[in-house]
Amino acid sequence: MQSRHRIAALSLAALIATLPAAADELRIGNGGEPLTLDPHRYNLNLEEKILADLFEGLTAHDADGRVVAGAAESWSTSADGLVWTFRLREDARWSDGEPVTAADFVYSFQRLLAPRTAASLAYFLYAIDGAQAVNAGTAPLDRLAVRAVNAHTLEIRLAQPFPFFDERLIYPTGFPMPKHVVEELGDAWTKPGNMVSNGAFTLADWQPQGFVRLAKNPHFRRASTVALEAVTYFPTADRNAAYNRYRNGELDVIGDFPPGEIGWLRRKMPDHLHLAPLLSIMYLVFNVTVPPFDDERVRRALALALDRELITGRVLQSGEIPSASFVPPMVANYRSAVTPMPQDQDAARALLAEAGYDADSPLELTLRYIAGPDNKKVHVAIAAMWKAVGVATQLHHAELNAHFAALRQGEFQVAQAGWFGENNPEHYLELLMSATGDVNYGRFADADVDALMNRAKQTAALQERLTLLRRAEVAALARHPVVPLYAVTIRSLVRPRITGWRANPRNTHPARYLGIRAE
Amino acid sequence: MVRYLLRRLAFALIALWAVVSVTFVLVRAAPGGPFDGERRLPPAVEANLLSAYHLDEPLVGQYFRYLGMLAQADLGPSFRQKDFSVNELVARGLPISLTVGGLALLLALALGIGAGTFAALARDGPRDRLLMVLATLALAFPPIVVAPALVAAFAVSLGWFPAGGYDSAQHFVLPVIALALPYAAAFTRLMRGSVAETLARPHVRSARAKGMPTRRIVLRHVLPSALMPVVSYAGPVAAALLAGSMVVEEVFSLPGLGRYFVQGALNRDYTLVTGTVIVYAALVLAFNLLADLCYARLDPRVRHA
Repeated sequence: MQSRHRIAALSLAALIATLPAAADELRIGNGGEPLTLDPHRYNLNLEEKILADLFEGLTAHDADGRVVAGAAESWSTSADGLVWTFRLREDARWSDGEPVTAADFVYSFQRLLAPRTAASLAYFLYAIDGAQAVNAGTAPLDRLAVRAVNAHTLEIRLAQPFPFFDERLIYPTGFPMPKHVVEELGDAWTKPGNMVSNGAFTLADWQPQGFVRLAKNPHFRRASTVALEAVTYFPTADRNAAYNRYRNGELDVIGDFPPGEIGWLRRKMPDHLHLAPLLSIMYLVFNVTVPPFDDERVRRALALALDRELITGRVLQSGEIPSASFVPPMVANYRSAVTPMPQDQDAARALLAEAGYDADSPLELTLRYIAGPDNKKVHVAIAAMWKAVGVATQLHHAELNAHFAALRQGEFQVAQAGWFGENNPEHYLELLMSATGDVNYGRFADADVDALMNRAKQTAALQERLTLLRRAEVAALARHPVVPLYAVTIRSLVRPRITGWRANPRNTHPARYLGIRAE
Repeated sequence: MVRYLLRRLAFALIALWAVVSVTFVLVRAAPGGPFDGERRLPPAVEANLLSAYHLDEPLVGQYFRYLGMLAQADLGPSFRQKDFSVNELVARGLPISLTVGGLALLLALALGIGAGTFAALARDGPRDRLLMVLATLALAFPPIVVAPALVAAFAVSLGWFPAGGYDSAQHFVLPVIALALPYAAAFTRLMRGSVAETLARPHVRSARAKGMPTRRIVLRHVLPSALMPVVSYAGPVAAALLAGSMVVEEVFSLPGLGRYFVQGALNRDYTLVTGTVIVYAALVLAFNLLADLCYARLDPRVRHA
């Protein structure tokens, strides 16, 4: 009886006591569960965010999303653009106090490309000479052209000139690995208590589907500048649940919220609301292998019937940037030469008539999109604009995985697609090359475009390369394999007491630059 | 009794095998695979991935490999949660589901037995009617409606309870209530009917005629037999509650088994989905077996049926 009373008293005490967040702990709603914290096995943006707080590559993002020096203090490129030499910082340490050396990078790059690792993003570093053959298992690991000249000098030879290589090294695929730990522990090295990292934070705890907790790394080379003691990432897969937890003060940052709330938030919590266009392009893709979408006139007519300002300004209304270019408008260095094509319903009708469609035999098509309230609104609007020129559109939606599986297999007529990522026009334009394979969803192939792209890829001089890319884009879009629509907006809620949060098109906010103002 | 038990165990194993086989086929029949993201995979990379998870082998071979692992109580590596095995994930998720489910079961039983008895004793009076209206309402609003409403009222508006997570006992209050309410209502209705029926039995009427106090009649003569249907219904309810509620775990961000199932299905994580289904099926079979054993113990006719 005695013990029963004690249990009752204890559970009552536990009921009354809540756990308030520590004053310098940042609580982030991260949108989903990281499926791995192994930088070589990761595949998701939400994993990239956690990993970027744990590790530091040769280059890194600053608070504004710009490429700056990371574990390397400087680097140089040979005149032909092929050999990149990185000078590592001598004071860089792993979180167990061991020095970070060029050998750790060599080990890491070899592990990434070893077929046994089964890294789904191994191709991020295919630019390195020998990488593709090593990854395919047709060449030994030491064929990879990454070499430790000495403990603090790393030399990387590329297969082709690639002026955007410094940015490519920012991803977790380019992070160093603590060779001494990974070799000893094998796959268990990512577990809390085992993981050793070289970034501003270390892995303190990880409860799958519960949270990932990071603690400040005292061995980080700039530890004295890191304000936060801890960062906790919550796998907030449910947007509504995340929003409720934010409103209830349980989260400090969420990267998304129910779209219907934006009006209320603008009125009631304007100092929490951050709208930032993301380096991305949402577009419609035509399957050019199936009639009538093999007919350029039909594609052009459907493009002419659209008004992208209407989609961004009236339907989405969150600051999305309309784009006639297939390269997102905020890509640095690149100014698209594509002339925007304003909506012209008469011209669209005329082209359709030319292709054999009129009121008696209208064009009928199925438009596929990814399930979701925003996507639904956008594609209903698109269908309405097509209806205005006499096209009957049937809408079909599916969840993300099923949608892209269908696209990759070419099982569609017209579909929504999107591409995110780099400050590098090639990253987007490659999707329109015939050699690209199944993410060139529409199977567009044009000899001129391919030739221009291949010439660009062999050109080391940046300006010349960009000129070739601009010409490739103009040549491709003249044939309308895709209709670029807009750059998406990242809608974040950030508590006003969080300091150092800077909106940027990469939507990157390394925790080492963030802080919490005492209230 | 031993023979009966062995026969039931054999049936349970066959049922489990059938569940495993059907799930194995169904998850693979869903469109899209575990490695279909938005980003492209070059052929070499895809080949490496498929071979790491033996997905490049013929389906029949994969099936027997999986059965072989199951025989050793190994649910395999998670295809998508790459840093954990399914066993590790179940070991982390199940205690949370068991806590929420167990508390919800206790709450549902306490509310249902109390309110049902009270309603039967006040039968056809205004208090009985009110309770029945409330019970019908609770049945009509499943957790998918109740849970967000509770969050809106008691977390976002009033700020009394957290809206999600599981750091303290406070975090469990709203999910347990959301999960328990419909079952509490079902138990109430069941209990009310059962108590009313027992009250009309001769031995209760004669106890009343002898002037025994109501409280004693209820406790000694009514409840023991009136509880029988509730106890038998509690078996499957316990399995349903303990194995994790997908809806409640999603709404309250609880990392239980139900959440693993939902995320596993969305990610086409074949082993995780199959693993959670197996655990769920095993729980259902175990609780049904337990209920049947109780019957067998109470009623010898069942043993020979």
